[in-house]
Amino acid sequence: MNPIARIVLIVVYSILGLAAAGRATAQIVESFAEAPLAYSLSAVSAALYVLIAIALWRGWETVALVGSSVELVGVLVVGTLGIVDADLWPDETVWTGFGSGYGWVPVLLPLAALYFLVKARQRGATTNL
Amino acid sequence: MDAYSSVVYPAVLVVCGALLVLGIVTLVFVGAHRVLQWVVTAAYVVVAVQALWVVGLLLNGNPAGLVVTLGYLLATCALLPLLGIGRLGEPDAAAEDPDPMRPILAPDQIARVDGAAAIAVGIALAVASWRLTVVLGGGS
Repeated sequence: MNPIARIVLIVVYSILGLAAAGRATAQIVESFAEAPLAYSLSAVSAALYVLIAIALWRGWETVALVGSSVELVGVLVVGTLGIVDADLWPDETVWTGFGSGYGWVPVLLPLAALYFLVKARQRGATTNL
Repeated sequence: MDAYSSVVYPAVLVVCGALLVLGIVTLVFVGAHRVLQWVVTAAYVVVAVQALWVVGLLLNGNPAGLVVTLGYLLATCALLPLLGIGRLGEPDAAAEDPDPMRPILAPDQIARVDGAAAIAVGIALAVASWRLTVVLGGGS
């Protein structure tokens, strides 16, 4: 994997993990009963961001690939459900509105990560031929 | 609170703006990396001043929620080590790591990684500082 892309992705995933962890902690500590699903999802997204950052750093490309895929599916599902049935989410999560509250980074980041990870995997496959 | 809103917070924003601009410039002109390193030092200084100031405000009876305020404060501090993360790709640093997957970067790649990190951290630090100021009752 391109080393610059790899470290930049680690930086952005770390920042997003920090932001999501802070948001989830505040939400769960202060008002978990108001929106348990949304706040649990915030915690899951925070854990996922941290896991992907660690996976990218340690070179666990399969973990990073699966994690980024799950993240992308999560953003798309939560974003779509928010449009289809707004009442489903009493409060916002990191993935609400396709991550609009975070400058759409939550939807753009997994796309970028998947691009570089798949490219690296294809290059590896070509080299092994 | 007035001094915080009129001096400390604007200083943090100025440094965040400088990180953003110099990060972009460094991506294009690697030679700007040296100037970026000065701004990174300035970022450590203003965040340290901000942290001390906020703790002082809390000790002097600011009604802001302790958990949220300290959360944002810790976030601003936690962002700082990501500045200059390109140093982890230096050959000397990589040689000390037994991990064979550890990336080793050329000097121009280190500069570009630092530039990209400065952009991301500059934006995140500005947002965290803005939220911190709102929580403290000094902004909207």
